[in-house]
Amino acid sequence: MVNKAWSNRLSEHTRFEALVLPHLDAGYNLARWLTRDVNDAEDVVQEACVRALKYIDSVQGSEARSWFLTIVRRAFYDWCARNRPKEIVADDGAAIESAAADPALQPERAALRSAQSRLLADALAELPLVFREVLILRELEDLSYKEIARIADIPVGTVMSRLARARSLLQRSPLLHAIRAQTAGAHR
Amino acid sequence: MNCNEAGTWVAAYADGEIHGVQGRSIEQHLRGCAACGAKYQAVLTLRAQIRAEVPRFSATPALRSRVQALLAATQAAVPTRPRAERDRWRWLSGGALAGCAATVLAWVVASAVMDWRTNEDVATEAVATHVRATLNNHLIEVASSDQHTVKPWLSARLDYSPPVHDLASEGFPLEGGRLDTLEGHRVATLVYRYRLHTIDVFVRPESAHVPPALRTLRGFNVVHATGSGMDWLAVSDVSPDVLTSFVQRLAHADGS
Repeated sequence: MVNKAWSNRLSEHTRFEALVLPHLDAGYNLARWLTRDVNDAEDVVQEACVRALKYIDSVQGSEARSWFLTIVRRAFYDWCARNRPKEIVADDGAAIESAAADPALQPERAALRSAQSRLLADALAELPLVFREVLILRELEDLSYKEIARIADIPVGTVMSRLARARSLLQRSPLLHAIRAQTAGAHR
Repeated sequence: MNCNEAGTWVAAYADGEIHGVQGRSIEQHLRGCAACGAKYQAVLTLRAQIRAEVPRFSATPALRSRVQALLAATQAAVPTRPRAERDRWRWLSGGALAGCAATVLAWVVASAVMDWRTNEDVATEAVATHVRATLNNHLIEVASSDQHTVKPWLSARLDYSPPVHDLASEGFPLEGGRLDTLEGHRVATLVYRYRLHTIDVFVRPESAHVPPALRTLRGFNVVHATGSGMDWLAVSDVSPDVLTSFVQRLAHADGS
């Protein structure tokens, strides 16, 4: 005994449950790394779900994951523009400079941190937004260049150059250098 | 292939983006070139480190219940809209016979409501509602352990105001609430947790005084109690004695 609007809504819910809910972890992981905060990540993903529910008719099953991640990322940037406008830095060069000047990346502070595994995670969290997002999508979500390009709304060539810079920033991160020196010293 | 050609593609190769002929020629170059080989290894090493040391976060329970609440809220919004009402009447005229049957059924159900406890159907319906909500992951429409959040949410949607108490200190934390229909009437459903079990408590205004009753249906225990001017019907797979004392405690929480 269902009317038409009711059954449409039901099928929207069914589609949402089948297409979006399986990727809730992926969406949350992305939001968590972009916001770097539990509660903010929840807010971003909830907003993304509101949008996903609205446009659920426009998605095919095979692309549901990157579609949802696109929405999560978009929701994050909208949220960020409202709450942390300073974080959105359009110019990559400026982003690197500000990251290099960040006191959180100073080796002295890094040396104070005890757990080694926290350091790589910290260094990754300190990466400028544009580099952090491609690296998370590549290494934690295991997405292809094409999918990352679509999600981050950039050409594949830009995905490649940002990944390269993200990796070299991470490899050259003072945080990691400090710990390597520390462990090398301990083994000597 | 020389280093200039290979250089830009080494990372892409490490990312599994390059296959076929081009992949094989990069492979060949990597075997002979120490500089590009080191670059390739650096990408693999960093990846192994990231995957070993960097957490991939999973959606928190709080987020999951917020998403369920979102789904429930949009679902609940539909039938109350006037347009939906018109559609329902169109459906009735399209199947007059079925419509008559539904009307008769509605009468039967409505008269059964007059004394819901003596009727086994309400227990059956309560269990069915509990199972449906569990299977659809639709247990909670308003997720909160704060009784001052849950109570107004329910009161705003009903013509009565159910007493809401968090019994977390006694091992029964309040998880939230939702609206259900029992015997054709909207009822408040409070959702509690006890260890790993979920307890649904249907609350509606008391109609007549009847002693507490316990039933077991399809493996679920259904316990009834009256108190604080309400009828309380708890459904759960929690053991009967625990469920009975919990419902009694809940029904008389206002007086204590």
